[in-house]
Amino acid sequence: MTMTNPNEDMLDDLFAQARSIDAKPSHAFLARVLADADGVQAAMRPKQAAVPGGLWTRMLDALGGWPAVSGLAAATIAGVWIGVAPPSSMQDLTASLIGDEVSVDFFATDFAFDTGALADG
Amino acid sequence: MLPPADCQRTAIGLARIQMTLSQDPFLGAPDDALLIAFANGDRQAARYLTARLLPRVLAQATRMMGNPSEAEDVAQDAMMRLWKIAPDWRQNEAQVSTWLYRVTSNLCTDRLRKRRGAVSLDQVAEPLDDAPSVPAQMQTRARMTALSDALAQLPDRQAQAVSLRHLEGLSNPEIAQIMDISVRSVESLTARGKRALADLMAGRKAELGYDDDQPE
Repeated sequence: MTMTNPNEDMLDDLFAQARSIDAKPSHAFLARVLADADGVQAAMRPKQAAVPGGLWTRMLDALGGWPAVSGLAAATIAGVWIGVAPPSSMQDLTASLIGDEVSVDFFATDFAFDTGALADG
Repeated sequence: MLPPADCQRTAIGLARIQMTLSQDPFLGAPDDALLIAFANGDRQAARYLTARLLPRVLAQATRMMGNPSEAEDVAQDAMMRLWKIAPDWRQNEAQVSTWLYRVTSNLCTDRLRKRRGAVSLDQVAEPLDDAPSVPAQMQTRARMTALSDALAQLPDRQAQAVSLRHLEGLSNPEIAQIMDISVRSVESLTARGKRALADLMAGRKAELGYDDDQPE
């Protein structure tokens, strides 16, 4: 014979009643939940599209934008100018740092003339 | 607060979804696949996920809270947490349903804890369902409120284990997974919780219509 606790019987009945609750979301409540979802999704969108534009825009961003690129362009032009027409002060400076300029010829340009190989007759 | 026009538009959209569930583009896809689609900007994914998950979340919250408006607040909060975790969701690591059971359960015990010793009148203000008669409806409401108030008196883990076992009807291994504890711990928590709940409810038998020891 099994003894049942009347308090537990009541509890089991209450549990059964609770389980039978049909909590169907109302349309207004569904709308609120979906509005939340839309809000969260809208806030996520810019994060996903964080790298807009094409290759050029992305390269520009990688270098640090227009200010950085204009600085780079100025430095490039200055470098080319110094290379083509170095100021005399620059030549003096390089000479003092790495010594005098030395020319080395790989071919003796007057060799053929010395031997007379190219002489007529 | 959502403008009425938006509410109406969303409601129409939902009605359309309910009518065309047979054409569910995500039919057969697991919940986490929909959640990832949502994180990737698919608006339809949110609608289908809500249709799948919200009724169960709301039911769980209603059973634990014993009050429809509080249950809606909990369910909305749980769903909000789901939307927010979507971009970081790791597919195949956890089931969305398990995660939602855990979150809803935690949110309910957070609220129940605050309710301890301070039961407000609005907790018995709204009917739970469309019961056939007003007296029966009132009695069901009183019983569910009493059950929820008694759950509020239990330690959080006991209240969670008891509600998952006896209100949701889940198995002990399922509860162990949700609560991240061993099956043995679940058994212990549910047994102690049920005993404590029976003691708490013992003094309210007559009030709740159980005075003749014959549950209806």
